[in-house]
Amino acid sequence: MMFWRLVLQLLRGNRGRLAVAIVAIVSGAAVISALLNLDLGVQNKLTQEFRTLGANIVISPASGAPAHISDAEVPSLMPEHDVLEVMQQLPPTQVAAAAPYLYIVARAQNIPVVVAGTWLDQAQKLDATWKLEGSWITSRADDSHCLVGRNVARRLHLAVGNPLELHYLERSAQCSVAGIVDAGGAEDNQVFATLRAVQSLANLPGQIGVAQVSVTGTAPVVADYAARLATALPQYQVRPIRQVAEAEGALLGRIRLLIVSMALLILILTALCVLGTMAALAMERRKDVGLMKSLGGSISRIVGIFLAEVGVLGAAGGLLGAIIGAALSYWMGLRVFGTAISPRWEVFPTTIVLMIVVALAGALPLRMLGNVKPAEILRGE
Amino acid sequence: MFARLLGESFARNPRRKVLTAAALVIGMAVATATLTIALEVGDRLAREFRSLGANLLVTPESDTLPVEIGGVDYRPVDEGAYLNEADLGKLKTIFWRHNILGFTPFLDLPAYVSETGGATTLIGTWYQHEVPVPDGTKFETGASATHPWWKVQGRWFGDGADECVVGAGLAQKNPAAFAIGKAIHVAQNSGSGSGRPLLITGIISTGDAEDNAVLLPLSVAQEISGHPGKFRQLFVSALTKPADALAERGERAQTDKNIQLTPTEYDRWFCSPYISSIGFQIRTVLPGTDVHAIRRVAETEGRILTRVGTLLWIVTLAALGAAALAVAATSATTVLERRAEIGVMKALGASNALVGGIFLAEQVLLAIAGGAVGFFVGVGMARFLGESVFGTPASPRLILFPVVLALAALIAMMGSLVPLRRAAHFRPAVILRGE
Repeated sequence: MMFWRLVLQLLRGNRGRLAVAIVAIVSGAAVISALLNLDLGVQNKLTQEFRTLGANIVISPASGAPAHISDAEVPSLMPEHDVLEVMQQLPPTQVAAAAPYLYIVARAQNIPVVVAGTWLDQAQKLDATWKLEGSWITSRADDSHCLVGRNVARRLHLAVGNPLELHYLERSAQCSVAGIVDAGGAEDNQVFATLRAVQSLANLPGQIGVAQVSVTGTAPVVADYAARLATALPQYQVRPIRQVAEAEGALLGRIRLLIVSMALLILILTALCVLGTMAALAMERRKDVGLMKSLGGSISRIVGIFLAEVGVLGAAGGLLGAIIGAALSYWMGLRVFGTAISPRWEVFPTTIVLMIVVALAGALPLRMLGNVKPAEILRGE
Repeated sequence: MFARLLGESFARNPRRKVLTAAALVIGMAVATATLTIALEVGDRLAREFRSLGANLLVTPESDTLPVEIGGVDYRPVDEGAYLNEADLGKLKTIFWRHNILGFTPFLDLPAYVSETGGATTLIGTWYQHEVPVPDGTKFETGASATHPWWKVQGRWFGDGADECVVGAGLAQKNPAAFAIGKAIHVAQNSGSGSGRPLLITGIISTGDAEDNAVLLPLSVAQEISGHPGKFRQLFVSALTKPADALAERGERAQTDKNIQLTPTEYDRWFCSPYISSIGFQIRTVLPGTDVHAIRRVAETEGRILTRVGTLLWIVTLAALGAAALAVAATSATTVLERRAEIGVMKALGASNALVGGIFLAEQVLLAIAGGAVGFFVGVGMARFLGESVFGTPASPRLILFPVVLALAALIAMMGSLVPLRRAAHFRPAVILRGE
């Protein structure tokens, strides 16, 4: 009882000195907790950013990519429901987007053009960087509209709203151009329609050429997902796209290493700052120690009281700082990534324990007070 | 007198000064290191992003529609337009020539392999090819620069040799015919004799359409196709700056007559390494081409670079804040600890201004000394950080030296101002009594 009253008394008196220590501890804890939150959140955010690179897993028939697709030859295909069934069985949480594709070479205005049938609502997520003039097709059943690539539009003199007639063998289909795609790649030379429309044009109901999957996560997560897809679909070829996977892994590693090493520097600096302040505070207390000692307090008890004081300071400052830091990282997430970084619960105890340890380490010089002679101190030397 | 007081203070109590100076050195070292890294990280990361490969695609302008599926062009060889290989050296003459890290021409053609009797695609390209630049130098480039993720088991074909590299998919399907060390005969038509012999030197795995094709030197592909000196597509890998509003306007001004850049805007756009301005410069040296940003790569790169850049500036600010805190806290403690000294000075008739002046002068001297040492320690830290993160040490920025010194002086002064103002209210008698 007496012990805690003394601690309380000490905290109340001497406010100026304590203010410096508290400011140091709180801001130190805030910076540390913000950086810890940030480091845990940043990988998550960046892997999502990398998804604009498009699909990272491609499923295709085992015989390889279609060797020759022209009017007369039937490309190697796979049944649509085989692939979809398996994909529904696997956990959907990691899949950012997935779409089946059927490519045929049809003729428009007597010019051969590649027509891709797909789920356009998913294709939009797979290729988030497409620039579209006009409007997107959101329904998988909208057979009357299609999107045309930039080069196709230029070559066939098409504008948004124009009709486009596609011929494949003896069949033909008509759609109106809903939008013109600027993709900066092969898609600029293609026409996009719903999967159903292309299947009926090519008379290949239920058949697809490839399926593209965009999986969110680090390289091992993607590789793991690809492996599970491969075991579930032994008759097909499941291959991670190397360009995306390798670059993403390397870049993420570098960016994280950079942030972690800078955070570590700050961490050391903050810890040193708190340590210094606490050490100064402890030295200030020499007079109190002298008084207590002359009143007959044992050294272990006196040091105990100070350590308790310092511990309480560390814990309170750590808690307050951790909360401020969580708010900071929340704001940083909004500012940098547009979505908030939600605080992790494990950051709070880590920050508080860290601050207590640092504060106690700062109070270590107090142990030297064991050989203090009360008279000398009270005399003011 | 003032200088003597100052000198005495340093001579009398070096221990305390060492503490403050240590805080200054560490704080300023961290500030220097983080600032150096933050200033350099954009360039470094942009270079790292080139591991994604090419970000610009050059195609003939007056082309027929490529019949391209999964990265392979299925058009017959006598259809469509071609580009001239001889012009490629001009790419290294544009304004941003040093930002062109590599380029690779491609010529796809359908062909038959007489060993298997099957149709396949031949992809003519460069792996490491020396391109003569108009200024007389040579530039070595090829798929090694624009497609760094391509992995070859065995070795690459020699430039211009009758050799080839076979896709892993093909090799898996027909291991008897497509094995390293064997020769295959390829021809454009199934009927035309035995075809050209090519020695297989490696098996390539790209994770893309090339896995089912045969890669061979561009010059050999040109001879087989009957189009010497020509190619269809050029992939360019360029170091760029993330697009901003000006980059977007500059890009749109080229196609949209309604958007006009003012001369200063145009100069700024032209002289910034935006992907749109580099594309524009490539088109001026390669007339008759259509240069397009590979949006998927360029935009992902731009966005992540901008985000990481902002993030690092925030972290740098945090580091500066922490450094300021450390220095300010030490300064404040110093003043508080020396109340007795202040009391004596005031009792002897020193004015508040003199006391404050002495203390501030002391702090500034310490700050400059500590900041200078801290700067060099920080340069070392930045070198180490750059080395461990990017593989090459970050080069020191001398411009940071005065900045860090000024920062140190400012922070030390700010840190001692509050306690000094309180010291002005000290009553000497109370302090000297030891309360």
